This record gives sequence, structure tokens and C-alpha cells, in this order.
Amino acid sequence: MRCEIEFTLNGATTQWAGEAGRKLLDVLRDEFALVGVKCGCREGECGACSVLMDGVLVNSCLVAMGRLQGCEVLTIEGYRLTERFKVLDRALANRSAVQCGYCIPGMVLAAEALLAACPRPSDAEVRRGLSGNLCRCTGYNAIAGAILDASKEGEGLW
Amino acid sequence: MVNSMVQTPKGKEGDTLAPKTLEAALASLAQEGAIPYAGGTDLMVAEDERRPFLFLHNIAELQGFSEDDEYYRLGAGLTYTRIMNDKRMPALLVEAASQIAAPAIRNAGTIGGNIANASPKADSALVLVATDSLVRLVSAAGERVIPIGQFLVGRQKTTRRPDELLVEILMPKRWLADYRFTKVGGRKALAISRVSFAGLFAAESGVIQHLALAFGAVEDTIVRRPQIDGLLIGKSVEEARALSEEWLAAWDAAITPLRGRVSARYRKQVCLNLAAAFLKSRLESTD
Amino acid sequence: MHKISTSVIKKDHAAKMGGSAYYVGDYPSKGVLHSSFIRSPHAHARIRKVHYPALPPGYFSVDYRDITGENSVHVVLDDLPVFAQEEVFYIGDAIGMIVGPDAETTAELAAACEVSYEELPAILDINDAETAFFDYHYGRGDTERAFSEADHVFEEDFETGYQEQAYLEPQGMIAQVENDVLTVRGSLQCPYYVHRATAKATGLPTERIRIVQEVTGGGFGGKEAYPSLLAAQLGVAALKAKGQAVRCIFGRREDMEFTSKRHPSRCHYRVAVKEGRVTAMEIDVRFNSGAFTTLSPVVLQRGIIASPGVYNVENLQVRGRALRTHTVPNGAYRGFGAPQTFFAVELMMDHIAASLGQDPLEFKRANLAKQGDATSTSGRYHFPVPLPEMIERVLAASDYANKRAAYAAPQDSLYRKGIGLSLWFHGAGFTGAGERDLIKAVVALEKNAAGQVEILTANTDMGQGVKTTFSKIVAHELGIPYEDIIIHNPDTSRVPDSGPTAASRSLMVVGELLRRAAIRLKEEWCEGQPQRIEEHYTHPDYLVPFNLETFSGDAYPTFAWGVGVVELGFDTLTGANEVLGSWSCFDIGTLADEAIAVGQMEGGVLQGLGYSSMEQMAIDGRGRIRNNSYSDYLIPTSVDVPQLEVQMHVCEYPGGPYGAKGAGELPLVGIPAAFIAAAEQALGVRGINHIPLTAEETLDYLSGSQHGKDKESVR
Repeated sequence: MRCEIEFTLNGATTQWAGEAGRKLLDVLRDEFALVGVKCGCREGECGACSVLMDGVLVNSCLVAMGRLQGCEVLTIEGYRLTERFKVLDRALANRSAVQCGYCIPGMVLAAEALLAACPRPSDAEVRRGLSGNLCRCTGYNAIAGAILDASKEGEGLW
Repeated sequence: MVNSMVQTPKGKEGDTLAPKTLEAALASLAQEGAIPYAGGTDLMVAEDERRPFLFLHNIAELQGFSEDDEYYRLGAGLTYTRIMNDKRMPALLVEAASQIAAPAIRNAGTIGGNIANASPKADSALVLVATDSLVRLVSAAGERVIPIGQFLVGRQKTTRRPDELLVEILMPKRWLADYRFTKVGGRKALAISRVSFAGLFAAESGVIQHLALAFGAVEDTIVRRPQIDGLLIGKSVEEARALSEEWLAAWDAAITPLRGRVSARYRKQVCLNLAAAFLKSRLESTD
Repeated sequence: MHKISTSVIKKDHAAKMGGSAYYVGDYPSKGVLHSSFIRSPHAHARIRKVHYPALPPGYFSVDYRDITGENSVHVVLDDLPVFAQEEVFYIGDAIGMIVGPDAETTAELAAACEVSYEELPAILDINDAETAFFDYHYGRGDTERAFSEADHVFEEDFETGYQEQAYLEPQGMIAQVENDVLTVRGSLQCPYYVHRATAKATGLPTERIRIVQEVTGGGFGGKEAYPSLLAAQLGVAALKAKGQAVRCIFGRREDMEFTSKRHPSRCHYRVAVKEGRVTAMEIDVRFNSGAFTTLSPVVLQRGIIASPGVYNVENLQVRGRALRTHTVPNGAYRGFGAPQTFFAVELMMDHIAASLGQDPLEFKRANLAKQGDATSTSGRYHFPVPLPEMIERVLAASDYANKRAAYAAPQDSLYRKGIGLSLWFHGAGFTGAGERDLIKAVVALEKNAAGQVEILTANTDMGQGVKTTFSKIVAHELGIPYEDIIIHNPDTSRVPDSGPTAASRSLMVVGELLRRAAIRLKEEWCEGQPQRIEEHYTHPDYLVPFNLETFSGDAYPTFAWGVGVVELGFDTLTGANEVLGSWSCFDIGTLADEAIAVGQMEGGVLQGLGYSSMEQMAIDGRGRIRNNSYSDYLIPTSVDVPQLEVQMHVCEYPGGPYGAKGAGELPLVGIPAAFIAAAEQALGVRGINHIPLTAEETLDYLSGSQHGKDKESVR
């Protein structure tokens, strides 16, 4: 089933036409070249393709394009222009929390969703917020620690 | 291909892609046999982009929550996250919702989708079965309210007609005060239930008023046997203790786990362990 | 702390953080050719006939007939074919590929290929295996006499399952002939391995092959040898594609089902004890090699060399076999054979202590090797063995003694706890004389007129941080800013062969070469002039030469050390366990970067915990891997082990840069034994001699109706 939709992608009004059942993940990567959105499993089990849809964290592999009419989609490419990103960037850099990097764009958006909902989280809340984003490299300590750092450094931003 | 539409549905007001009213959605369903799309978290695992989805997220009737004396009334389109974050929601349902998958899935997945997908592993469906909830199905021709046990009839099988939409869930408010929910997964998040359990208990003046157990992820549908739990209802604690082995044996006979990755023997044992421990703890606290 | 240990911002941080790091799958998928494999559905069969469907214009098939070189993938013995010719030997064995402009169409066409097979008997279990690809023996002393004189003799069997690397980025490559040069870009650990394999399969001269590592989303050994196969296949396809790029990016299921994993193992230990000391061990190690040899000989060598553990065992007989089965060829995974044997020996020591009525830790301490003692292969522990100090640190952090005593009391509540400890080493670098005889590493530094210095090595950063640590070393020696060091992903047309990124060797061996190169560059520094410095490997002169025939001599130049404690809780109703805490101490010598080192240790420990518990991979009665997705093969999430602490103990190694030694593999190696020791205490049983430990087995242990492990589940 084809559809024509209009949605906001990283702040820009965007028209799109195609199969309504197409995965947002594929469209972002193949048609908009937003390859910061990573593909790890295509079934919602790894979180590497996480994006924000109307400010809410979703797995872009499990979102059909037809669902997006009127929605705002933010990927890492849009988020990296924000002040909040800069705070997270410094925090993860200072803890060398990025290893292979494949989970990171999704992880960063999960962190943003968490901090937006809960600006001063506990370690347990941070870990819960990241629990849908698999990382095979780090053991999660450095990432969770960096998000806690960011929540303090970014006082007032979230 | 189910759909052979000539015109492209526009993503604009009043369209057939994501209708804004229930009437419009039902009209589409009646004519096109579209696939209702709630959260997409189950549907989108499959790789078939040509499916004729009918997107339900704009329909206000599916997003509501209210309560009357008898029921909590939950719109089928409520996401797990909405349920978790709404203080008015019953605690049992909140607990089950909060253990589903992970935030991104809970943000998109809906309670209605969890039921309509008819997986025996669905955690929120388990709660609805344990609580003897009702579902309200609406079509252009009318509506019906049926017990969830009559809705979920098999693996990926419901009694929903193609022209009907699952609109609302009615969860009885009685008996919700004392419950236990246990999800057995392979890890603490992003886990598919290997066994799930919900139990409700009520006693007054030492007499059991209510007992309801439900088991998920063991058979094609969620297992609930009111006649077994009925053995103990109306009984005193002492009588219930005396009957508890008979009750457990009845559950043992009633549960026949299907083969799976995790052995049937194990899942049966866990069901019985959880049932026995639940009853034991409640009888002790009633003493 | 050495000055070098102070952490810096990683060289690759910014690009990865902002999502602009380009992995191979991120190259545009339009305008290239896609490929889909035709794979065997049978574990063992003769290929009678391959019938390709009619292919639309622009589509073509690739199979063994298209191979312009040899139908053989260069790894060690080169028995793995590029494409199956007459017979298939495991489910997933590649018969051919369909290549064309549309991905969906290539998949449909590949599925439409009709291959008729004559099914042949398949061996799926190593107990049924008839062929030992490798059968090694070594030993020393007089075990017969030691056993005859022993106070006690103990005998046990141990078993470990598959472990899937589960890197987040699946395997992938793009191959294309450009200007007469076959270029292969991919997610890989060892560019020159891939280079040699591609040359062999295509028959092209080496100067017409160029391998480029793209940003690699994790490897853990899984991208050590498998990329050689994929590059050979894609290279052949690219030669047929006449200048068009051919792309292959695996989906998760294809990756999990058909690429190499950690060898499942079975070990038999027989141990003699006299006066509280282990006097002899007889060890029989069997690894499931899968259908081909690939890396099995070297994995097995490391496994059997580690098999007596950290103990000084005077009399030793070890046999190790890698057995052929009709299953996916197994390969490298962090630890490389050592996790299997350390699991066995550490539990063996626990059980012996318990049988003797001794505390396991005291028994282990009494048998520890120390500096100057002979290693299992009659080499020497040339440097201090720091385990005693490390043990103290872990005991303090974990409150081990109190917990161990408390949990030893009878537990009858619904929730039970246990705590366990294990000790281990990891031989740093390649086994034996591999560095000297095979690798012969070369590195280069190139200075430009502006005074920036570029590092040229073949070592890949797959997340473990070598771009950063290499840069720090060179900057430190040259006394120039870290920002003035340039390091790109390796491209074989530009970098010398500094060897593979494997065996925890990169920092210790290649880092040291870079340090020496930097010292020379500094001495010869000409301001404003481009300069190039090359440095070649030199073998440490203190080593007892290693003989691979007899397994004698120094197998490793030095060892990294580990001590791990794991505390578990069990729900007795469901059999589910949770890791209440994990405390470890590691000696990897001087830390080239503290945060990177700690991150490596934490990540490795978590992989070890997963390996022990939730990471279950089994094959069915036909030889098919059933757990081929992230929903079926579970790896730990952020909430599974919130309490994971590591400490670093620095025992400098003079042969490594500033005292650094092998690091990456160490943390995983001994964790499973600590995990099962904790489980045995919590469940009040002895003899849980296998991993992974499932919830269903746990219930059996709790009810005393221990059915043992489902024989089908681990092969």
C-alpha cells in the first residue's frame, strides 16, 4: 500500500511517498543517507536503530512509514546539533565510554529520552533507560557513568 | 495482495491511512480488510512492506482511560509507557507493563496490540486474563463486549472479525488489591517470557473470597481455570490448606506446556512452584 | 601511575559519538551490486546438481567454477573451500551466490536456486566424531609414578557450550575492481589475513589486491578468520562483476548461524594430590572444530597450554584434540581456547579442595606457581606472579570471606546466594615463536613537512582503542601533541604488515615497535622534512625457544593475570539466577590508557558472565543452530549486572611499551569458573561442571533430581 506523507525529519519538513509498511530504519538509511541510524537486528532486539519520534524513543526498525504522518523524527544527525548532545558528548568522551561505537547513536538517543523524562536519574534509572540498547563492548559501566555525569553537568538543560 | 487500491491514500486529514475517528477506521476496515496497526512492535518484525496497514494512533477513543464503580476502562491504544506513567492505573497492570521488553518497545507497543496479536507470551494479556477482563469490539455494524477468554482462542488467533476493532478493555476493579505477577525471562530486560504468572487473592474473616491464577507462555493460549481455583473459594484457611494438594494436583493436570526452546517439564514445574508458593504465602498472611 | 596511563579523548570518539563514523554497511546501497548466498540446508550431503533459475539481465551467479585462483581459503591449513564443489559439510556451507542490482531480487533468485543433494551421514556430536583434525600430546615429569604415589586421585569431566561473539555490527564487505586493483572494504580484524586469502582465491598478484578496514563494530575474534572467507567469495564475485562494486552485509540471522563461534569443549581431568599438593595432572581436551580446521589448531594449542591453570604441576600429561563435526567451523573468540580449559581446571581445584575438606582458595594458594617455576610447557615464569597480592585486593572488595562463610550455612529460603572465586592467566601474544617465524611485524611512522606524524600499521581498532593507545605512545616518545598524530584505518596499499589484531598482541608487540620507531624518529628528526621510519620485530632474547612438536619452551613471552569473584542469587521457584556482584583484579602491566583498559576489562567480564549463564546456543538434531537472533541468543543488557567492579594491578613487563602487556582477552577467561563456583555454593551441590547453567538445570539441582544436561544441547 503506497502512501504520501509529510513529517518533520531533524527539523525539516519532509515529504515522502512509498510503501506505508516500509521500515523507517530503511528509509532513513537508504533514502535520506542518515546512516548514523545503525541496523543491528531489524526486529527490535538491539536498539542500535533507536530514534526519537515526537520526543519518544522508538526502534526505527519497528516503525512503518505510514505511522509518521505529522510526526517529528529526530536521529543522531539532528540531535548532534543540540546543546544537550554536547554535554553527553563530553561526558562519554571523558570516560572513554565509546568502544566500537555501533550502539552509540541509539544509546545517545536513549540517554536523551531518559534525561528528558528524568533529569537527575539514579544509576538504576539510567540502566533501566538503556536496557533496550545492547552494547557488547563496554559492560555498560562507562556509559551509565557518563550519563550520570551529563545529568550533573547539564544542570538546567533537561 | 489484499489491497488493490487505485488511488494513493494521503497522509492528510480524513484519509484512510491514519483515520482520526473510529467511524472512519471502521469504514475502512469494513471495505478493505486492512491490517490494524497499533504500536507496530509485533507487526513490523515481519519483512513485508506491502501490507495494507490501517494506522490507529490518531483515534481518540483508543487513547482513553476512565473508571467507574466496576471497571477500569483502558483504551486499546494505550502504550505500556502511558500505563506505567499513569498513577490511576491498577498496580498489577503497571507491574506487568514495566517488565515488558525495554523502553523503546514500551513506548510504541500498546495493550490492545498485545492482546490482538494473541501471543500466549503476552504479559499484559496475562494480567487481563487473570483479572477476567472484558474486551469491547466495535464494528460499523455494532459492538460487543466479551470476556477476554472468549477473545483469545489460540496462538495468533482471536475471535475478532476482520471488520471489528478492539477498542477498549474493561478490567474489573474487584479483587485487585492482593496480587502477584512473576515474569520468568532469560534476563532482566528485553526478555520474552518463558513462563509468566499472575495470581489474585482475597480473603475476609479468614474465608477465601477470591482466587484467580493465570499462566502465560505455556500453552497456545494463556491458561486460566476458574473451576480449579473455585475449589478453594468460600473455604476457610484451614480448609484451604487441607485442599491445597488437591488444588495443586488439579493445576498439574490442567497445564500441558507445549514444546519450546525451554523444556516443557521445566515450564510446568515453574508454574506449579509459583502457584504453590503464591497460595502458601496468602494462606500464611490470612492466618 | 605511569604518565602514559592518563586517559585522553579517544581518537575515534567524535565520529562514533556523532554518528558520522562510516561502517561498511553505511556506504550507499544504491548503484552497487547486491549478493545473496545459496547455502546448504544439510549438514552433510553430496551435491548432485545445481540448477540456477533464469537470471534477469544484470544478474549473475558465482560458484566454484568462477574461482580464478584456488578453491581454498587461506587460514592455517587452507582446507576450507571458497565455494562448495562436490560436497557440503555443514548447514550454511556456501554453494554459490546470486549477484545483481536489487537486493530483494538477488535474495529471491538465490532462494529459487534448485540444488539437488544426496544426504550423507552427519556427525554432530564430538562424542561421535571419527576424525581428529589435530591430536596434540605433551607433558613432563613422571605422571605414572605421581599417580601411584598419590594420597588422593580425583577425576572429573567438564563441558562448555558455544559462545557467539554477538558484535553489534554484523559482518560485511564491499569488493570492487578499480584501476585493475581488487579492493575489498570491510569489517575485519586482520587486513593482511584477508589480503592473503583474497590473493589465493583470485590468483591475483598481491600488488593488485587492496584490503581496507572500515570502522569495525566489534570483533572479539569473530572477525579474525571469517572475513578471509567472505573476502575470497566477494573477491571472486567482483572479478566477474567487471568493475561494479559487489556488496554483502549480513543480516543478524545469517551472521549468527553461519559465522564462526567459540569452540564447544569437553575436558577430562585426572589429578593426583599428595600432602595437600597437586603432584600430577592428566588432561584430555576435546574441542568441536566444526567442519573445517580454520583456526582450530591455534585455538587448541592455547587451550591445552593453559589447561593446568596457574598452578605448579610437576608431572603433566596433556592430550588435546580438535574434532571434526558437520557443523559450522568454529574459530577465534576472546580467550582463544583458554576459557574452556580454565573453566575446567579452576572447578577441578575447587572440587578437590572440597573433597579434602579444605577451603578452595587456600588449596589454590598452596599450589600456585611463582616466579622462576616451570610453565606447563617447561618454559619459565620469568616475571613475578602477582596473584597473591591481587587475591587480597579482590577479597577485600568483595567481602568474600564473610560471604563465603555466611552462604556455607544451610540455606532454606526461597532465595539463595553463593560466591565463588577463580584465578587465571592469559599468555600474552602469539603462542610460541609465531611472532618471530610467521608474523615478522613491521611498522612505520611517516612525518610530514608540518611535523605531523602518521602511524602506519595493519592493526585495526574495533573498539578496543589501539588508534588511541598507539597515538599516545608515539606522541609521548616524540614529545609532540597527541593531536599531531595521524592514524587511519589500515589500508594494505599504505600500511606495512604489522600482523593481525589478535592474541592480545597489538599493544604489547606493535605498540612496542611504534615506541622504538618513535625514539628513532626523534633522534633523526629533521624539522620541515618529510621522513619515514620503519621498525621490525625482534624476538626477546630471554625466552626458552618454543618447540611446537613437543610443546616445550616458553609458549608466551609473559602472562597477564586475573582474579575474579562472582556472587549469585537464585530464585528457587523459577531457577533464575542473578549476578549480585562481580569483583575482579587484573594485571595487564602498565596501562597504556586507564579508562580504555578498565573499559576492556569490564566488557570482558560481562561477556564471561553471559557465557556462563544466559548465552545459550544449541543445534538441533539436523545440525542447525537454533539460536540465531538476539531474541534467542541472549547477551547481557545494562540491567543484568549493575555491580561490576574491576581493579588494576600493575606488574610491569619490560618487553612491552612502558611495561604494558596483553590485555584484551584476559578478563573473560576465568569468569565462568567463578560463576559456577558461586552457583555450586548457592545450590549446595558440587559438580555443575558445565556452562551455560540454565534455569531448568538449576531447578533440577535444587530438587535433587539432577537430570544432567540435555545431551542434545551442547555439542
